[in-house]
Amino acid sequence: MTILYDEGQQAIATESRRVLEARVDKDALLPLLETVGEYHRPFWDTAKEQGWTALALPEADGGLGLGLIELGLIAHQAGRSISGAPFLTSSFGAAKAIELFGSDAQKARWLPGLASGELIGAIAFAAGPDALPRQPDLTFAGDRIEGGMRGVPAGLAADVAIVFANGQGMPVLALVDLGDVQRSAVPSFDNSRLVADLSFSGAPAEMLAIGSAARDAALRILALQSVVTAHEQTGGAEALMEIARDYALTRKAFGQPIGAFQSVKHRIAELYGLVELARANCIHAAAREGAPDFITAAAAARLSATEAYDTAARDCIQIHGGIGVTWEIGLHLHMRRARSLAIEQGSGLFWEDVLVDQLAGEAA
Amino acid sequence: MSDLEGYRAKAAGWLASMEPTFGRDARKGLSEADDLALGRRYQKAKFDAGYAGINWPTEYGGQGLGHLEKVTFDAEEMKHGFPSFYFGISLGMPVPVLMQFGSDKEFVKERVLKALQGEEIWCQLFSEPSGGSDLAGLRTKAEPDGNGWKINGQKVWTSWAHYSDYGVIVVRTDPNVPKHKGLTYFWVDMKAPGVTVRPIKLAGGDSHVNEVFFDDVKITDDHRMSPVGGGFAVAIATLMIERYVATDSAGFGPHLDLFVELAKDVQLNGRPAIEDGRIRQQIARNHAMRSGLDSINVRARLMMQAGMMPGPEGSLNKLVAVRSRQKLSELAIDLQGSDGFLFDEHASQKEDWASSWINAPTGRIAGGSDETLLNTIAEKVLGLPQDHRPDKGIPFNQIPA
Repeated sequence: MTILYDEGQQAIATESRRVLEARVDKDALLPLLETVGEYHRPFWDTAKEQGWTALALPEADGGLGLGLIELGLIAHQAGRSISGAPFLTSSFGAAKAIELFGSDAQKARWLPGLASGELIGAIAFAAGPDALPRQPDLTFAGDRIEGGMRGVPAGLAADVAIVFANGQGMPVLALVDLGDVQRSAVPSFDNSRLVADLSFSGAPAEMLAIGSAARDAALRILALQSVVTAHEQTGGAEALMEIARDYALTRKAFGQPIGAFQSVKHRIAELYGLVELARANCIHAAAREGAPDFITAAAAARLSATEAYDTAARDCIQIHGGIGVTWEIGLHLHMRRARSLAIEQGSGLFWEDVLVDQLAGEAA
Repeated sequence: MSDLEGYRAKAAGWLASMEPTFGRDARKGLSEADDLALGRRYQKAKFDAGYAGINWPTEYGGQGLGHLEKVTFDAEEMKHGFPSFYFGISLGMPVPVLMQFGSDKEFVKERVLKALQGEEIWCQLFSEPSGGSDLAGLRTKAEPDGNGWKINGQKVWTSWAHYSDYGVIVVRTDPNVPKHKGLTYFWVDMKAPGVTVRPIKLAGGDSHVNEVFFDDVKITDDHRMSPVGGGFAVAIATLMIERYVATDSAGFGPHLDLFVELAKDVQLNGRPAIEDGRIRQQIARNHAMRSGLDSINVRARLMMQAGMMPGPEGSLNKLVAVRSRQKLSELAIDLQGSDGFLFDEHASQKEDWASSWINAPTGRIAGGSDETLLNTIAEKVLGLPQDHRPDKGIPFNQIPA
């Protein structure tokens, strides 16, 4: 069952939009594209100051006790204005893993810092296109992690990572303090995501789950993060649809606004459809947190939001013509972000398989 | 349990009890005449049980409930394959418009009661050979004739006209003014002299739509349902009545579960097709699309329950669902391969892929083509400009043919 936003939730959306529109602009984001290892600090400072980092964590652990619906609303607005750092999602994922599967000591050690935003978390499960590998690259033995992870979003700044490792033939979900872990920045088309390769070389690790429980737990973490990301993608797609609409109303060719040509107006109407389907799936998925069909709902949200954002990026630039491909106009910020979000927490290929496994009754 | 859920449960119970008499199995092998007769009995049963005219005023034999109850009942009814479609147009648009705009209240009441009980059927005479999307460009004309009017011209795509007792019609009464301003709205007796109905066989083999010819059909002025020249507004009101209808994210084709079952049953490259990436991708994408529409529709219902107007995103339903159904039906036939040739023209579009496929083009055209719907979204929702319209503001008889 989906929901209508209540007044409090609507206020979260309005207020976060107001704050972000006042503090974020593309001129601050463009230089970050050409700088490896930097993120937009005003964005993250805003997230901390506004309590967004604490929003969906339990009050007992320094959070605000709200949930995925509220965090999704923030992520939607962050997506509209192109978020300056990946931590809203990465830290949420790590914090949920600790909240759901960690000990009291682990919660006390990490959650207050993650909730305040002083500490940053990352999720490191993927091996190439497989967001949750059957044979993880990392090995877990004797409470230590060996091996390396490639392409971990937020990996360059994270204080703690949740990893998926091979523990003597059994999958293991483990927590790693990244204090002494070696990392190297991955030069990316979207550098403020702070993607890093991590080299663990025997770093101490604490097991959170093992066996099929570890796999279920990891998928649940990915699904929770994916719902946040899907909201962010939908926000980006919505912004692009509006930019395209506004441009089509003002730009003239052959004596009329280009939005009067069906090839242009229908393209924008199709974007509207993709955005609304993605939004509807996002709201539904956020409202299903903890329900038996949550994975299915999260996968549907993720797939439709990825399609909406990628398509909106393609089409918005196309509608702008030559000006759309300039550095200065910044539409490529969205185009880049659409792709980086598309592969964080598993690409569409991964979520299609997850979804069909659920629908066909083959879920693990 | 909310009131509405209680209503749904009660309706579902009643519908289930009707299944043996009126359901899919009871209809198998019936001729269309027998099926229509069964449909009339089903409509009467609905009336007697209080499920006809659910959201219509009680003074006209309705139940005086809201859109929500009606949509709830329709969604439940859709599951059973009852012979209700003969009355879908009749009770969907022409009869509600008659209630709203008919001048002779006694006459209206008699007609409404007969229509609600399945005794009489009404059709809607809008589209013409010269245009369907461009409603205001219609050419059928009514000229003053004594104290009344004389109609000449042709309508087309008129659903169930061959079974209809009455129809509502938009005609041109003044060709000397711009096209929207010269139209007038009437009701007509479909059995009147000069009315000729000729069924059109559609691509799928069935013939529920018709051409309707009017040759000097004389009507009195009390048939008029709009001011002279004010017919376009009533025509738009007719189309607006159907804003709150039961939706189907399957595009009125088979449920995705049927595709998943097919993909499990069929072998592709020596493995169940459900393991094939191409098939999996289409299942996943169709599910994501359908779940999005389902969520849009649940939210629309919640908004209505809260006394709000549903958002414009509901207009995506037909556009998105039917064209997806068309492609998925093609893929389902691909999956069956050499077993996919089999065609049963009486099979249900909700259960049979070939039937769904061959009837899908109708779904993408009837009730607003994909292109018209995209224009509506672009213009009414997003505020984009209208297309260039060379006929705008020009008297109808000066528009270049």
